[in-house]
Amino acid sequence: MVTTGRKVAIVGMGGAFPDCRDLDDFNRKLFSGESLIREWDQALAHGKNIRSTVSGFITEAEMHLEPVYSTLAADYPETYIDLLGRIPDTNLSTADIGSIWSMLGAQDALKMAGWTAEETRSEQTGVVIGSGGAGHIILRTAWHNFFELKRKTRLAGSHTVDRTMVYRDAANVSCLIRNQGVCEAIGSACATGLGNIGYAYRLIKFGLQDRVIAGGVEGTSLETFIGFDAMQVLSKGFSAAESSRPFDTSRNGFVCSFGCGIVALEEYELAKARGAKILAVIDNYHNNSDGSGNMFFPSFSGQKRLWKGLMDGHEIRPDVVKVHGTSTPVGDAIELLSVVDVMGEEGYHISAPKSQFGHMLGAAGAVELIASVLMLQNQEVLPCLNSVQLNPELENIQKSADWNGPEKPLAGYRELISQEAVKKEINQIVCLNYGFGGTNSAMSISRED
Amino acid sequence: MERQEIIDGLVDILKTVRTIDQSKLENVTEETDFIADLNTPSTEMINIAAKAEQKFGVEFEDDDIDDLGSKVKDIVDLILRTKDRA
Repeated sequence: MVTTGRKVAIVGMGGAFPDCRDLDDFNRKLFSGESLIREWDQALAHGKNIRSTVSGFITEAEMHLEPVYSTLAADYPETYIDLLGRIPDTNLSTADIGSIWSMLGAQDALKMAGWTAEETRSEQTGVVIGSGGAGHIILRTAWHNFFELKRKTRLAGSHTVDRTMVYRDAANVSCLIRNQGVCEAIGSACATGLGNIGYAYRLIKFGLQDRVIAGGVEGTSLETFIGFDAMQVLSKGFSAAESSRPFDTSRNGFVCSFGCGIVALEEYELAKARGAKILAVIDNYHNNSDGSGNMFFPSFSGQKRLWKGLMDGHEIRPDVVKVHGTSTPVGDAIELLSVVDVMGEEGYHISAPKSQFGHMLGAAGAVELIASVLMLQNQEVLPCLNSVQLNPELENIQKSADWNGPEKPLAGYRELISQEAVKKEINQIVCLNYGFGGTNSAMSISRED
Repeated sequence: MERQEIIDGLVDILKTVRTIDQSKLENVTEETDFIADLNTPSTEMINIAAKAEQKFGVEFEDDDIDDLGSKVKDIVDLILRTKDRA
């Protein structure tokens, strides 16, 4: 479907990033080629019960937050103290850790966007932020007290609902900034971050809103981590910095990470008229489903259809393809082959920023979009760390009788993937993210004309 | 247990509720209204009641909490009434 309508600009960014003080620190560390992945004490504490122990995690102290533990239930953070006084206590009382990151990210994005209070509180300003997981530590406490300890419901406190509901991040941000437009959350597993921003883009493009605070978040949660650990899909056996290795032959899983990415979107002409700094223009967003009936296994044809939808009626010739690139054995291979099938063997670079910070799940698409905007700003392709050797043999999928994709093994496309940062002219970047359930999402962004 | 002793204990609880303006806790009396005078968010009232149960070693009936007034004397009365029942 060709979509016509208004143009949409990215005018602000913010969030929470592993092992980083703020967006500037994130920018500096990424383009210095650093890994933000560390051994995680919370995982290590469980010894042999957990396979993987590395993560791009964020501690409360790193975000200048101090938990206030309840006297009613053990180890239950009843609320948080913002040591820098950024978020009022009333707003903190209704927020889990991910919602607090969302509010902090929204504050930074709003500041960068430069919207007035009147603009922010307008009926034409929306909030669309989603999360992959729930407010786990709060649910764990509430359920443990009721089901296991047989205690009254009120002993888990009265904030279980607002701190755990599906759209808590959007709701908390909306209550903080007091916008009067839409407030919603989109959920699409690991495509959530880009999915929310894509939905926000459509709200503006189709004239339903003029401005939207949008993004994805995944609050630090051992519950989330152990779910994936049980599936045996997490990286194991490497040092922390070497554990996320997209496309490398020895990759054996992704690094489960946490974070938050928030962007401020605005109708392009409105942003121009008020003299806003345009960080990037969104060319198009497209999403689809594999239709294969498979919850987990990615689809070559589904990804090809994704590109077709993205390109339909639009000038899409990216200098960089920011891939999902999780570092799982099957996912990376199919993704590289589908990109090559559409884009050819040269003339662009592939960026897999999860090599530096792992897979932030519901936040991944949003944080990686921010990383892509930074690539546009810096005119530099981020390095794909640890992609030391690509498979010189054909993938199994390429050996099937009905294969009609690229004929070379992954190693034949080595030139597309650099382990070092690459300085070059970058005018357009395509961002790709996929999620369980066979959901695929793609967004193209460009430098301002 | 004296009523003032209970009020002092309630103030100790209120000091842990970050959404209450702490400067208003200096002159809490039996007539102080949690909502009108202290601007206590209504969602915090149940947390205060639960912490009062813990602090004073009582367990309120659900109906008593449903019917609880918003003044300090109301919860003092409830605590003493519950203790008497036990």
